[in-house]
Amino acid sequence: MTQKLTARETLERALAIVPWIASQGGTASVDEVCRRFDLDVDQLSSCLSTVSMVGVYPYTPDALLEAFVEPDHVYVNLPEYFRRPLRLTPTQTFGLIAAGRALLSVPGADTDGPLARALTKIISISGAETAVAIDIDTAPSDILMSLQSAAAHNRQIEIEYYTFARDVWSVRVVDPWRVQSLEGNWYLEGFCHKASATRVFRVDRIRAITVLGSGFQVPAELPPLDVFPDDAALPRITLDLTPAGTWVATQYPVESSLLLDDGTTRVTLAITAGAWLQRLLLRLGDDAVVVTAGPGLEHTRARASRRVLQRYLK
Amino acid sequence: MAATADKFERMMNLLAALLNAERPISAEQIQRRVAGYASEKEAFRRTFERDKDELRSLGVPIEVGPIPGTFPETEGYIVDRRTYELPDLDLAPDEIAALHLALQAVSVGGPSMEEGTTAAALWRLGGVADGTPVAEEDHLAEIPVDGRQSILFRAVLERRVCRFSYTTAGASAEREVEPWRVGYERGHWYLTGFDRNREATRNFRLDRMGVDIKIGEPNTFIGPAPEIPDTEYRPWDDGGPEQVLALVRFDSDQALWALEALGPDTLREVESDGSHLFEVPVTAWEPFRSFLLSFLDHAELLEPPELRSDLMSWLQRYAEEDSR
Repeated sequence: MTQKLTARETLERALAIVPWIASQGGTASVDEVCRRFDLDVDQLSSCLSTVSMVGVYPYTPDALLEAFVEPDHVYVNLPEYFRRPLRLTPTQTFGLIAAGRALLSVPGADTDGPLARALTKIISISGAETAVAIDIDTAPSDILMSLQSAAAHNRQIEIEYYTFARDVWSVRVVDPWRVQSLEGNWYLEGFCHKASATRVFRVDRIRAITVLGSGFQVPAELPPLDVFPDDAALPRITLDLTPAGTWVATQYPVESSLLLDDGTTRVTLAITAGAWLQRLLLRLGDDAVVVTAGPGLEHTRARASRRVLQRYLK
Repeated sequence: MAATADKFERMMNLLAALLNAERPISAEQIQRRVAGYASEKEAFRRTFERDKDELRSLGVPIEVGPIPGTFPETEGYIVDRRTYELPDLDLAPDEIAALHLALQAVSVGGPSMEEGTTAAALWRLGGVADGTPVAEEDHLAEIPVDGRQSILFRAVLERRVCRFSYTTAGASAEREVEPWRVGYERGHWYLTGFDRNREATRNFRLDRMGVDIKIGEPNTFIGPAPEIPDTEYRPWDDGGPEQVLALVRFDSDQALWALEALGPDTLREVESDGSHLFEVPVTAWEPFRSFLLSFLDHAELLEPPELRSDLMSWLQRYAEEDSR
């Protein structure tokens, strides 16, 4: 027994299927309709048997939709008013243009190819010429393309990488498993031979890349990429944030967030490295008060301030 | 399960009646003439309202207007075929397949994009011959959306003025904007448009807008400007009318990120050791100080002298806080 579609799901399909079959000369193969519109044979035949009862007052046979299903083929004959599919909603148009433009902004995209042509056609009926601008190309394109190629061909790489959280450069040999753009940044995930563990790298912090000869095996099952892996062993810091400082809670994974009576928000964060916390506290300034600091994190802001001041006093 | 088929049949009949009508038809006529409705008035009303809402949510343009020749004037319902129908886009099979691939590669997702919203868009375009979906973890890119994007997108298309509350540096104010473009850059969504309060072109971050975005009547402004300026939103450029030029030096190994954030127009000089000098127009000092300090001691503000000394005394205050 297949799962029944809801009335809305059936309606959404019917309004597309019926005009499509009509555009194919009134008949199409059952297989093809099922594949195109993501439903199975039972769902299709129940949809079309209902459609065949649809019409307008006084429901004389000439005012009815005709639709029937044979073992291999479906047939429809339509009154004029169901000849065309329903137009796209603004949300659908937006979704298509956003996905399409994002892909076209990736280095190496074929900007004269079928995707670009399809978008031009959709834009021409929506008037959306300049309405949407999407750019997910935030990493140096030569590095991104080398990474994508190395990942696609399972070639080990050596990268020169800036660890923002520690403020250090390092050279690492990595098995590049996959390259993905999440929330506007490109990430490389792979096995890092320096750390002997899985690591996620921001592509825009890779300064140089060398493709090495050796291959590797990608794990069969990769869970969704996690930019902020949880680590219970990391020290914690608790901050009281003014309203102007609450962006911290939306930008980073906070473990707890509590709105206090005086309007401040108390958050607790795991800290991967001291330099990261130095940056955070200096950015926040008076918008954050340190409530408790875990081992090694005490007086971070004072140390950070002295460090920066040294440059000014030289 | 028969109820599902009945509901589907009734909504198809309703749509057929509205599409076929030559002039608006009244609720009473719909009750009498569209197969599937209850004869009891209250039950009909409830079902009819729900069906109408559901059809509208699929994008069916149900219009409400007076029925000609009725006295007292009665309201009726109609669907104009010209606005209902998708124009023929003449998409080639490889173009449809490319759209399908784009939707597979880039997940534009979130609460506003119900699952299947874009799949249904492809069905309306005729469907794709091989529609195998890709697993979530294999997406090339993920772009989060939360509902504000499609409201604003519609406002751009239909030239409707937007009103929303906007928060900068902890303070909220109502803004009235003629919307020109919705953009996504560096992980943030932006609206570019003409700010009626400030009488200037502005970029707004969507995540700083209140959720309640009001959009006005269609075609209430002319625009956009022939050249829409870059979306680049820089928080230090979102202050008052007074502007200072800040001269800043960044270490060579950090210069690329500074260039990316500040924009190529601001680069003044690359020094012999690779350090980069930038001259940055600043209207909001505190956001700029935050930006500089996120580079720790790899960046130095050189001019103007009063901001340099302000920064130094600000740091001095924190530098002493552990000895107090």
